Amino acid sequence: MRALIIVVFAALGLGLAATAYALRGEPGFDSVRLGPWTTWPHLGGADIDPYERAVVASEGLAPMGVNEGLLFVARADDLGAPLETRCAYRLAGTDLPARVWTLAVYRIDGRPQPNVADRHGLTSAGLLRASGGDFVIEAAREARPGNWLPLGDDPNFFLALRLYQAGASALSKAYEGLSLPTITRGDCS
Amino acid sequence: MKAREERIDRLVALIPWGLGLAFGVVAVHLITLLATPSLAPNSAYRRLAENLPLGEVRLLPRATPDNPGPPFSDPFAFLAACRFDLNEGPLRLRAQADGDHPLSVSVRLANGAILYSGADTQTPHGRFNILIVTRAQADAIDESRETLDEAERAAAEAAELRLVSPAPKGFALFRLLALRQGEAEAIGAQRAGFECKEEKPPS
Repeated sequence: MRALIIVVFAALGLGLAATAYALRGEPGFDSVRLGPWTTWPHLGGADIDPYERAVVASEGLAPMGVNEGLLFVARADDLGAPLETRCAYRLAGTDLPARVWTLAVYRIDGRPQPNVADRHGLTSAGLLRASGGDFVIEAAREARPGNWLPLGDDPNFFLALRLYQAGASALSKAYEGLSLPTITRGDCS
Repeated sequence: MKAREERIDRLVALIPWGLGLAFGVVAVHLITLLATPSLAPNSAYRRLAENLPLGEVRLLPRATPDNPGPPFSDPFAFLAACRFDLNEGPLRLRAQADGDHPLSVSVRLANGAILYSGADTQTPHGRFNILIVTRAQADAIDESRETLDEAERAAAEAAELRLVSPAPKGFALFRLLALRQGEAEAIGAQRAGFECKEEKPPS
């Protein structure tokens, strides 16, 4: 009888611990990496898996539906080093397959990062581009000429790129031919 | 020799307990994981249910560093939500895009499942006209339309997108993008065009 009680309590404890562990961090197991960017192709669709759904509920998220857009998150640069506000970064890319897109800077807790310019991102509508559609964005704490993405004072941050009303290459879930901006680390203070 | 045999016997006797423990851990894990979307105190639906009356469209706080608005939302997006309970009757959603600001609508169940999502470019003239119903309500509507001639029925069906919801409770999200500085006023005016209205169940 004593052994049975021990097994029941151990199963309860370990089962709950496994659930708590699964709900920490990024949702689900089917994330897709494209360079420094990560996306969760099933998060906004009917085929979302139970682990993703549980994380979405416990975090209070309302992810974009697949027909609304796609989200890509970068927590590191092209070489895998974590993004830090003491460094400057250059994001270089070309036209993205979406009606519009936005790029925002977040604190680690998921809120937009405060900064001196009180501007928390950039959109495709206000971007300066080369004649071929290529663009360069400078992410730094100090103001930069061209497309400046202001960073704040929190030591770490992450970037969220949202493709609204994304085109077929982004919706295929194979992401063939989808080219997202590169993230190159510059000088660090 | 005898002591060794006894030790082996004891280990063999532990095998059923070990299997029972493994089964129990997996069962508890799966049950709690599958129950989380319905029970999570912080889920999007539960937070809306705290202070958003059924059928009312409300603009949610925009994501800023100081604002505890919807977690991890786009600082360029204005979100408006309305909550529904189909036990009270079908729900009609209406929204009209202005062409300048991308607009999308999604319908979600209380457990977070996305029933529908669509953008203004996918609807006729950027106009959303969505009727959310239960299966029984859908059948009753079909029955009430049997008296119409074919052309009238086709017109009624073409004018709206009907969603049959597997669960009665959920919420709709209107997502409007303000891509340039100083567009909040225009966005506020457009939000006034969002409609979320309970309809009388067909008799």
